[in-house]
Amino acid sequence: MSSSRSHFLSEPPKIEQIITEFFAKSLQIILESRSSSVSSHNFSGEQTPSSQSSSSSSSSVRPRDKWFNLALRESPAALENLDIWRQSNLEPLIVDVILVERSSSSPLHPHSPAPRRNPFQNLSMRDNVHDHWSPGQDEFLSETKSENIIERWVLQYENRKGSANIRDTSYGSKKASGASCQSTEVLASYSKTYKKSIILLRSLYVTVRLLPAYNLFRDLRSSGQIHPFSLSYKVSSFVEPFNRREEAEMQQFNFVPVDTCCGRLCLSVAYRPTISDVKSEPSTPMSPRIISDYVGSPTTDRLRRFPSLSSAGLMSRSPGSSPSLPFARRHSWSNDLHSAAPSFSPSPSTYSDSQTLPSNLNSNNRPPHLLNVDVFPTVDSPHHPPETPSPSNVSLTHKKNTSFDEYWSSPPFSPSPSPSPPANISGNHLSNALLRSESAPVSIPLGRLGRGLPPYASPKGTKPRSSSQADNVSTQVSQAPLCRHSSAESKYGKRQDLMPPKEFQPGVIQKGKDEKTFGGGGISCSSSLQISCSRSSSRLPFEDEFDDSDFACPFAVYYDDDLMGLVNRTQSLDSKGRIGEGLGSGTMLRVRKSQDAAVGALVSMLKSAPPLRQDCSNSANLEEASKPESDQLHFTGASNGTGYGVTVSGLVMSKTTADALEELKGYREMKADLLKHGALKPCD
Amino acid sequence: MNCEVCQLKELEVEHFEIREVLRCILHTIIFHRALGLVRPKDIDSELFEITYVQCGDPELEKKIEEKIDQFIGWVEKHPNKKSQICLSFFEVKNKQASWFTNKTERLYWEQWYINLNVVHSKPHSSKSHHSKVVVDPGENVLEERSMHRAALEASLREVLFQIIKFVNEKKDHIPPVPNLEGVTFPYEITIPSSSDSSFGMDMFKRMLQTGHPTMLN
Repeated sequence: MSSSRSHFLSEPPKIEQIITEFFAKSLQIILESRSSSVSSHNFSGEQTPSSQSSSSSSSSVRPRDKWFNLALRESPAALENLDIWRQSNLEPLIVDVILVERSSSSPLHPHSPAPRRNPFQNLSMRDNVHDHWSPGQDEFLSETKSENIIERWVLQYENRKGSANIRDTSYGSKKASGASCQSTEVLASYSKTYKKSIILLRSLYVTVRLLPAYNLFRDLRSSGQIHPFSLSYKVSSFVEPFNRREEAEMQQFNFVPVDTCCGRLCLSVAYRPTISDVKSEPSTPMSPRIISDYVGSPTTDRLRRFPSLSSAGLMSRSPGSSPSLPFARRHSWSNDLHSAAPSFSPSPSTYSDSQTLPSNLNSNNRPPHLLNVDVFPTVDSPHHPPETPSPSNVSLTHKKNTSFDEYWSSPPFSPSPSPSPPANISGNHLSNALLRSESAPVSIPLGRLGRGLPPYASPKGTKPRSSSQADNVSTQVSQAPLCRHSSAESKYGKRQDLMPPKEFQPGVIQKGKDEKTFGGGGISCSSSLQISCSRSSSRLPFEDEFDDSDFACPFAVYYDDDLMGLVNRTQSLDSKGRIGEGLGSGTMLRVRKSQDAAVGALVSMLKSAPPLRQDCSNSANLEEASKPESDQLHFTGASNGTGYGVTVSGLVMSKTTADALEELKGYREMKADLLKHGALKPCD
Repeated sequence: MNCEVCQLKELEVEHFEIREVLRCILHTIIFHRALGLVRPKDIDSELFEITYVQCGDPELEKKIEEKIDQFIGWVEKHPNKKSQICLSFFEVKNKQASWFTNKTERLYWEQWYINLNVVHSKPHSSKSHHSKVVVDPGENVLEERSMHRAALEASLREVLFQIIKFVNEKKDHIPPVPNLEGVTFPYEITIPSSSDSSFGMDMFKRMLQTGHPTMLN
């Protein structure tokens, strides 16, 4: 400071004051109409601005208002930033306005999978640079967000002469002219500068409101809706250069600099002329009407808990997918069922399999698509080529799963090709998001997803995926062409959404199954991240909202057909995933068991829903364990649900291979029980 | 004194859009010339996705509304005409003794010409749809409307940016600020008004005063 200050002192203090106040006012004007913290939304800017909202009301003419004759609302955020800037002594002030798109609405609640909203995805295109992925936090923080700079305001004071020069002038030429002259000159220039800066600030004030970002801000501020995005900002004193893409997208507007006696005040803005990608989609979703329908039914709390749903709603809005919303919930449920399986995958790479695994488990009755061909001739459907969403799979699912069809029947989400967002822990969220996103016209850039995702995850081919993800089952059925990725993703997504009730905590059993499935599953797409997400999400969120017990029990009770349907669905999904990997087939074969077994597996999975982080090794064990079905008897009683859950949970705590084996046994028992029940009960 | 003139891009508006368009433009210009203490008021346009800024001066608002009313009245009497509204800023100078009773004289230092082409909203059966076999004319009209609206909004935004740019580039001609209250400079809004002839005269006078023949279209 001292150095710079001293150097400024050489300038007429009034000018320096004008400059300082000009910076302050500019910052205030910009932040006042960009900082979303003011908005009532939960999504608060992450940065300091959060504090802003509180103190804005004090009015009356404050001293600061008199500056430039522009009375503004008090902006604590601006002041804070300004104080910091002051210490830097007239360094340039750069304000980046950042559009933050969140994949998950509530970061703290993993259960709520935040779907990536289309808008984000759009943004995400750019996001590569700015995205902040927090893989490490996956489990707890399901939220993923992409951040894109949509505006950059650059405010700087250019000294006409270097600091040295200034001194020279002050001591030299001007000195010569005489103090009196100087003072008059200075006064004249002062008033001139002041007047011009007033005008400049007026145009800044108007401009800020004409730029596209303002509409986003207005949307955020005005409606009580939940928006998939928020605005944030960053104030710094150095320019972080844009990448080429950004640079190409940005439009530059330079205000005419205001001359001072010793330099000039420069203000410019680089902005994205069309936030339309972001905005267009979001805008649609944002439209209250659509949302209201969707959201309106569930309590707000629920929405919060199920950000995915809300997001899904949004997603659906986008193109033709609107119908998906209602389904989304269903899906979520369906997911829950499936969810158990998906949750465990600890390791990223393997996880993808996890999805498949669960499906496999389910598939026991019905082999995964890949397996289907070999193992399950009954399925009728020929191989389901993993990549192509085999229509056959669909058909199969329909046939067997008529009951499911209800879920599935729901219009398949139009899969927008978003590649499965693999990597993120938020995978669940992602899946949800994907589903939603799928609906959204915008294709999600692979790159983003790609982090976690296997390279092959096809971006757009994803359509199928997306659909599948969203409605895992339903979509698959409806849309034959599901992509592997999509299937995998969809599974995750569903699972997450559906997160198993508390009862499921025992997850161990499920885990075992899952693991097995994983081993077999080739779903490469799903990344470990997803798994992790599923875990967290599954446990917390669902428990709260749903009565676990109910679910668990119902599942047990479920007709074989239903289970089968689920299995089939999962299988189909799995098969897709498997297809990609190819490994899955072997596991699948093993898995194949009677449909009853599949049912049991499903039940167990549901119960165990908590993610199985346990290693793949467990899966192997599980496989072995699965072979022996003798255990089933023990569990039969437990099959109803809760009992298992407890025991399982304990097991889960320490997951060892032995534990895994035990769990597997438990599952088997469960299956046996279920089968028995199923036999007793009439099928759908 | 220098009189800067700004011809704003012509906007094609339908009758019912005149008011909003003029509000956006006039308030935006005046806000830039209200160099006194101002507590800006953000106004979300009723018709467009545009937020413009008012000075928060009720009198000014009233005056602008009056002028807009007058203009609309004029447009109704003279349909299908391109019309121009002029917003002028001037200084009042005491004229030295003159043979006119008038002791003051207006020195215009800035004039803004708002050019509007008022078109009549098309009836439901617009020409463009004749070829089609009565395909729900309503829908087509709606489409056209929304397209027109979007186009107008974009153009209006352009005009507002034109104002901003002009204001930024031309600063040296602004006279000293006479007072510190809100709208500092005397101004007038001229519309074709009652008689075209008078408007013409007005313009003519102004031309003489400012020596800017280009003002006339």
